[in-house]
Amino acid sequence: MVDTLLSGQLLFAALVSGSLYALVALGLNLVYGTLRLLNIAHGDLVMIGAYVAFWLFTLWAVPPLVALVLAAVLCAGLGWAVYAGLFRRMLAKPALAKRVEANSLILFYGISVILQNAAALAFTASPRAYRWLDTVITWGGVSMTLNRLLTLGVAAGICFGVLAFLRFHLFGWGLRAVIQRKDAAQVVGVNIERVQLITICAGFAVAGMAGVLVSMTEQITPFMGFPFTIVAFVVIIVGGLGNIGAGVLAGFALGLVETYGIALTSAGYRSILIYGIFVGVLMLRPEGLFTKAVRT
Amino acid sequence: MKRPNSLAGLALTALMTLASTGAELAADPIRIGYSIARTGIFAAAAPSQENPYLLWQDQVNASGGLELPGGEKRPVEFVSYDDQSNPANTVRIYERLITQDKVDLLAAPWGTPMHLALAPVLQRYKFPMVGNTAASVQLRKVAPGYIWFTTSAIPDSMGTEMAAMLKANGMTSVAVLANELPYAQEFRSFLLPALKEAGIEVLVDQSYPPDAKDMTSMLVEVKGKAPDAVLALTYPADAFLFTGQARELGIAAPFVLSLIGPTIDAYRKAFGPGANGIVSSAHWSGQADAWPRGKAFFDAYVAKFGEEPDALDSAVTWMSMEILQQAVAKAGLDREKLREAISTGTFETINGEVTFEGVQNTRTPTGFVQIQDGKIELVWPPAIATAEFAPKQGW
Repeated sequence: MVDTLLSGQLLFAALVSGSLYALVALGLNLVYGTLRLLNIAHGDLVMIGAYVAFWLFTLWAVPPLVALVLAAVLCAGLGWAVYAGLFRRMLAKPALAKRVEANSLILFYGISVILQNAAALAFTASPRAYRWLDTVITWGGVSMTLNRLLTLGVAAGICFGVLAFLRFHLFGWGLRAVIQRKDAAQVVGVNIERVQLITICAGFAVAGMAGVLVSMTEQITPFMGFPFTIVAFVVIIVGGLGNIGAGVLAGFALGLVETYGIALTSAGYRSILIYGIFVGVLMLRPEGLFTKAVRT
Repeated sequence: MKRPNSLAGLALTALMTLASTGAELAADPIRIGYSIARTGIFAAAAPSQENPYLLWQDQVNASGGLELPGGEKRPVEFVSYDDQSNPANTVRIYERLITQDKVDLLAAPWGTPMHLALAPVLQRYKFPMVGNTAASVQLRKVAPGYIWFTTSAIPDSMGTEMAAMLKANGMTSVAVLANELPYAQEFRSFLLPALKEAGIEVLVDQSYPPDAKDMTSMLVEVKGKAPDAVLALTYPADAFLFTGQARELGIAAPFVLSLIGPTIDAYRKAFGPGANGIVSSAHWSGQADAWPRGKAFFDAYVAKFGEEPDALDSAVTWMSMEILQQAVAKAGLDREKLREAISTGTFETINGEVTFEGVQNTRTPTGFVQIQDGKIELVWPPAIATAEFAPKQGW
């Protein structure tokens, strides 16, 4: 038992799931933080990313690493369309902006249904999958499938890249200012609309990239997105809504809790562990577990 | 401005007249109703059922239509609705199909819960329907009369057969990893006593939730215990998870079962040669020489859809349509005559001859398949096997 717990195998598994959770949640958190939009369709963007990778690889043997860029561009475009078409005016009018959280929930629910059914119509609901970079390597006694190792590297890279950008780039400062105090940010000259537009595009793009990573190891269907939406909401609520760095930390924490929690108890306790933490945080620290510990 | 309008009107009238004349010339179509999970949790599984329906319609219409007693043939038309993976909707839709759409025949919806919810409706309207994609011991409790089940993958006989297959191949110890969803748990509840009776030791017995995202800790335990056989009672989504991670850890057991999932075309695309040696649940193989109709179905399916039919769901669905077609040819569209014909008849199917006792197909043996060289081969029971079980050699 102790051997199992100390083995690098569990740590690797926990980091792979954790990095994916963090990445999926990152996009949702960016969009919620700056625009206060509850994107229930977030997981469906993961689905779109997965299909982009699948079709590019199956039809033209384009490696998923290239698909990462294309999925990001496509989803960013969707983000732009959603912002320009649905939310720009709503967010600009104070009376409407007040209700935007509740309204966005319903709007995104509609978008989610449309995306799922459009995908089912276009590609059929039959599960899809492809095989790429699935060589297993053993390093220090830990067996790793290369595409899972790549998932860890890319997901963690994007997460920490975004965090560094927010910390060191002027635009990142502006974005954090909008998250913290939108009115004050406007007063000091932050172009709110520009920040919002770029953030929604970035948030959507990140979800699409997560989908490309997921597609390498899971079956792809039009309805695969919803579990990712749920995970993303759990992560950002545990971390603290709108707190980008804390969300990334919470994603990794959830991966660790899941893997080690199952090892210590049994797989049947997975949901109890994860949702137990979720409910516990909501009751005891509704502002999020890492809100004060981490500042972005 | 008036003239183009009236011209368009004239053209429209002419077209409509033409259309109606056309319709009168062709025989009145036979309308067959069904509901299916196009959205919701079962949606990804449902094409394995709806594709055979569409292929069957193509073939029947290409041959002039569905044959009635006396040799008359009428084209087939489907009336279908999305039940959103909700059994309550299934009930409403079939009531609508029967009372409002007034369809001539019914085809089955996708999934066990839908079939179970639908049985009383069929009884009430005295409308016969051959079921297909349902498998549960609960089916045995359905009142016989207007519904029949083509599958033989019922968990109680599967438990016994699996234990027999393990014993026949010299396996003395197993690890059981079971999804918490009903079919897997039902199978587990019959499998464990059967294993005990066969003298096979259970080294690991764990259940996991359907939304599991990581199986590493369970599989590390399995690897440590090194059983002869790993029996993963999976559904499709976790079949991918299980296989990927068992492969990563290099689980060396010569016998690896993944209950549902491996017969889906995408599974073999995901794992390639790594899928070779995996055993799964199905009682049909397109490779069987004993069932010539099977090969024809397999080839036609691949030609139309660009992927292989699911050896379980697509096969039982096709069987249900073969049975309906043969029963209609004998009894016509009268519901009581049709019920009588299905209850008492013997039918030629891609899975051999089928007869029903009560609601059950008692002819088709419960079996297991194995992926060998990328093909689905029937390896159990020996009487219908298309290939011998081959121990799994690496991933």
